[in-house]
Amino acid sequence: MQSSLPSRNRSALAGKLLLLGFFLLGLWIVFYGLRGMREYAASGFSSETAYQAIYHLHRETETAWNRKLSPQLKALSGEDQLRLQELTEQLASSAWEKQKKGGAALADLLAEEDEDEREALAQKLLYAAYLVNGPKVSTANRKAVTALSGDEAGAFRLQLLRCLCDESAELPPTAQKLAGDLSGEERAAMLMQTWYVSNGSADSGITEQVNTLKKTVRDKSAQLDAFRMIARGEVSVTDQLVVGHSRTAILIGVIIAFNALLLAVLMAGDRTWQLDVKWLIILLIVDFLLLFQLMPLVYMLVKAFFPEGSFSLETIRRLHTYPLNLDAVKNTLIAASATMVFGTLLAFPLAWLVGRTNLYGRKFFRALFVLTYMVPPYVGAMAWLRLLNPNVGTVNQWLRALLRLSDAPGPLNVYSLPGMIWVLTSFYYPYAFITISRAMEKMDPSLEEASRVSGASPLKTVFTVTLPMMLPSLISGALLVFVSAMSCYGIPSIIGSPGRVHTVTTRIVEYVSLGQQGLNDATGMAVFLMLLAVIILFLSDVVLAKRQYITVSGKSVQPALVELRRWRVPLTVLVSLFAVIVILIPFTTILLTSFKIDVGKSALQAGNFTLNNWKTVFGRVETVNSLKNSFVFASVAATVGIVIACTMSYLLQRTRIRGRKVPDFLITLGSGTPSVVIALGLIMTMKGNFGINIYNTAYIMIIAYLIKYLMMGMRTVVSAMSQIHVSLEESSQVSGASWTRTMFRITGPLIFPSIAAGWFLIFIPSFYELSMTTLLYSSTTKTIGFQLYEYWTFTSQPMSCAMAFGILLIVMLINFILHRLTKGEFSI
Amino acid sequence: MATVNIQNVTKAFGDNVVLREFSATFRDGEFITLLGPSGCGKTTMLRIIAGFEKPTSGEVFIDGTLVSGGKTFIPPEKRGIGMVFQSYAVWPHMNVFDNVAYPLTIRHVPRAEIRTSVERVLGIVHLSRYADRFPSQLSGGQQQRVALARALIAEPKLLLLDEPLSNLDAKLRESMRFEIKEIQRRLGITVVYVTHDQTEAMTMSDRIFLINRGEIQQCGTPQEIYNNPVNQFVADFLGKVDFFKGEAKDGRIVFPAMGGQSIPYAGPRTGKVDVAIRPENLFFAEDGVLQGVLETQYYLGDVDDCRVRVGDTLVRVITNGYDHQSLRDGQAVSLGVRDFMVFEDDGLLEQMLEINT
Repeated sequence: MQSSLPSRNRSALAGKLLLLGFFLLGLWIVFYGLRGMREYAASGFSSETAYQAIYHLHRETETAWNRKLSPQLKALSGEDQLRLQELTEQLASSAWEKQKKGGAALADLLAEEDEDEREALAQKLLYAAYLVNGPKVSTANRKAVTALSGDEAGAFRLQLLRCLCDESAELPPTAQKLAGDLSGEERAAMLMQTWYVSNGSADSGITEQVNTLKKTVRDKSAQLDAFRMIARGEVSVTDQLVVGHSRTAILIGVIIAFNALLLAVLMAGDRTWQLDVKWLIILLIVDFLLLFQLMPLVYMLVKAFFPEGSFSLETIRRLHTYPLNLDAVKNTLIAASATMVFGTLLAFPLAWLVGRTNLYGRKFFRALFVLTYMVPPYVGAMAWLRLLNPNVGTVNQWLRALLRLSDAPGPLNVYSLPGMIWVLTSFYYPYAFITISRAMEKMDPSLEEASRVSGASPLKTVFTVTLPMMLPSLISGALLVFVSAMSCYGIPSIIGSPGRVHTVTTRIVEYVSLGQQGLNDATGMAVFLMLLAVIILFLSDVVLAKRQYITVSGKSVQPALVELRRWRVPLTVLVSLFAVIVILIPFTTILLTSFKIDVGKSALQAGNFTLNNWKTVFGRVETVNSLKNSFVFASVAATVGIVIACTMSYLLQRTRIRGRKVPDFLITLGSGTPSVVIALGLIMTMKGNFGINIYNTAYIMIIAYLIKYLMMGMRTVVSAMSQIHVSLEESSQVSGASWTRTMFRITGPLIFPSIAAGWFLIFIPSFYELSMTTLLYSSTTKTIGFQLYEYWTFTSQPMSCAMAFGILLIVMLINFILHRLTKGEFSI
Repeated sequence: MATVNIQNVTKAFGDNVVLREFSATFRDGEFITLLGPSGCGKTTMLRIIAGFEKPTSGEVFIDGTLVSGGKTFIPPEKRGIGMVFQSYAVWPHMNVFDNVAYPLTIRHVPRAEIRTSVERVLGIVHLSRYADRFPSQLSGGQQQRVALARALIAEPKLLLLDEPLSNLDAKLRESMRFEIKEIQRRLGITVVYVTHDQTEAMTMSDRIFLINRGEIQQCGTPQEIYNNPVNQFVADFLGKVDFFKGEAKDGRIVFPAMGGQSIPYAGPRTGKVDVAIRPENLFFAEDGVLQGVLETQYYLGDVDDCRVRVGDTLVRVITNGYDHQSLRDGQAVSLGVRDFMVFEDDGLLEQMLEINT
């Protein structure tokens, strides 16, 4: 012991120094990034990407000039060369004048240089100016021009240059079309551009950069500055690095510094300053969440309050000053509140009847209500739309026949706020039902029995004991319904949008599709949604959790079921009726619609039955592809997720290591964040502006799924592990098994069903996800949920119903597996 | 103040028969204990009396009124009983006063009257100062008393207690034992008490019903059951006992496993018998009936727990603590027998041991 102490001190010192070094490195990178930000702010460009574009453009023009144009110029006669030079200067200065009305700066600029440089400068300037302002070479012509082979192309380019010098010279045939009726400067510009295009595919990159430049450098003076920089070659590698990557630098710096700090806090806790591998795992998970979850959210917050780099409440103001936004906010709040109230009012009596009384078939009903939780909400929306459509809705047709009403639309209209509330309620009450049921199962039944022997009737007991005891769970279930309804996109987009009942989520998606100018409004709404969700999450996880009464009894007594007596049959009928209305009818509608030819008529009517919808939908390549995508994305998300979940469970349940709560907190926050907010955050930060460009890829979708659904998997594994007493593992280790062996032989097999259940709990919602996919998909990464939505909106309702029922079958199959694995004991 | 009459009650959960033809009468003002190992059906019997379970067949009468049986079923709230649960079942969302007052509140007793009653009952259970506290601020023993006070406040004819002390620590359990007994004696109510702890049963009960596997094995006063167990199970369950296989003939019982040594026997049985000897009924004598060698002694303070090898058998002897010094391990000793019990060797012992070990 004595001898090992000095070496321990030495390694502790090394550890501290290393951490300090990392911390300082992080800070340095942050300062470096901040310097770049300042420089960029001073440059007056509206985006850092402009800086990058300028840099590339500058390099490309230089290359084009040196490597390609110079040798060809030499092939021209001296006179032609001179004429070309004159023309170039002329074109350049006129371009300059066009840009900068009436100024004489270019003349000064040109006069400054010596002859050779002036020529090069003029060329570059011309090139940049005309790429930005001149006429464009169309794609077809571009193809024709680039199709020319080596020698031909050389001759073609030389001829072009000759024509530039001499207007009477004969144009090569390919260029004739291009120049057309153009004359004078425009003709020259076009020829010049054609010349560049003929230099091949390398130039297409430049065109892209120019487009970026045009998009991002909007104001004229900034454009002029950009051209000047190109002309003079003022943009250096360092500038580009500093300015173009300042955000990335800040991000990396913050992460390095934060990691060092977090590690230092962790290490300070155990005083040995020895590195523990577990900390690295925590750091890894935290960094992942920090980068893909917290950073986008924080960036969105910053963007909402500093839209143009300076503090402004404009984005927030637009939430209530712009009527469309205000309507969406109002609708969202009304719909979510009403869904919460109705959902809870349904869920509590159902949970009580199913959990505490001798209702017929209570176990069946329980399984049924839990199943609805697994069904994608948009499928419900589709079904209710078929049933309550004011014109052809089945229920409306029946009602009209029954009440002898005229053929006018109605009497019920699903395309309305009440319609939306009804569908939201029928699909989100299970959230409250599951929460309340779980709490009720955990409640010591003797608390109710004590009330009974005290002389209270069963009903009285419900109100004096059960309800007050359940209140915290009831409220947290209600809040869960509120958040879910508020964040829902599928139902409002299918039912609300056609009826012009917009919600925050549908508005966000529409704003995002508008592009850059919609992004500010989208950000404002997303921040509104996010803050609301975070507040509610805080309320239910921190405030309510502390008020939860822990009353698990030591003895596992089968609770005495309340005798419903003469109410038993009527209540069973009532619950069955509810199940029929909320579950059976919608699902049957989906199934029947999928066999229809004419949507308006009954599927059972002669000649209206077909299997073609199924054949067509599942025979299409796009369906198969999107199904494949869904399976792959959801599997990857579930697998990565379950690995993180197992790691986290181990850290939370088996170690007392400090900092294990940090990733736990982040994961909980992620699952509480509304889907569209997560997606929007990822869009805004993962398109290359922070050095990571996964926009339009599968990664961005998988990451989004992970952030949203990781917690479900984690909770399942954590609760399974908490039920395995440590002594089971300890006795294995005492028996001589290594840690790894213990994990594989003892802990692993014991919690395997929960690990599998956790995997499916991440898999299912990722599989049919719609809200995030709508924002994140690209043509190659469409998933089944989105494909279904597209079919519903643009193609055919029967076909999309076939697809929806297919999804339902898959979900039910998985639910069945899940039920077998967990015996119905999974939590949400 | 109440009698309970149970007639041929059978209770089955599916195929699992928990109670078989259970019949008993609890007299007015009696302290009855249902005693037995876990899973014997005693709690189910109590819950049937309370009305939380319905008997599969048979009847239960309280004060001569049929409460369960046939088509009749009176729900728990209408039986006028008090009950204390193992988990206390004190409502965490109400303070002590409200918890205790609950049965009266349900009966719409005037507020002032409730106040005096609660004060009186809290006085009985020594909780007067805690009326405003919430259960989470109370210790386990205090919560237990709240539950007791709540069960007593409506002055029930019958008080049911379901292992009320099993979650308390040893010291508290002992003092609560006497408090409950004291309260019962003072109020003169009929108490049905369920426990698996023989000491609780012995100290508190007027009569014990010893139950095993859904059937009453024996009922009687603690002394009767302890001294005259009707079978091996009863003998084994109450107190410490060792069983020896022997053969009764010619006024002696011979133990083959003790090298053929024997003890005098004047009872009626002959042939193969199970002899049950309580270790405290053996003593070291100058000239005893069994000869052996002292193997080990465990000094426990009040008593000395010894093992004596007699033939091939280890015999347990519990003597007074002050004997400890006088004997050494390995010493040859002679054992006297104060008392023993003889049962027919009907295979029950083997069955019982198989289950209990």
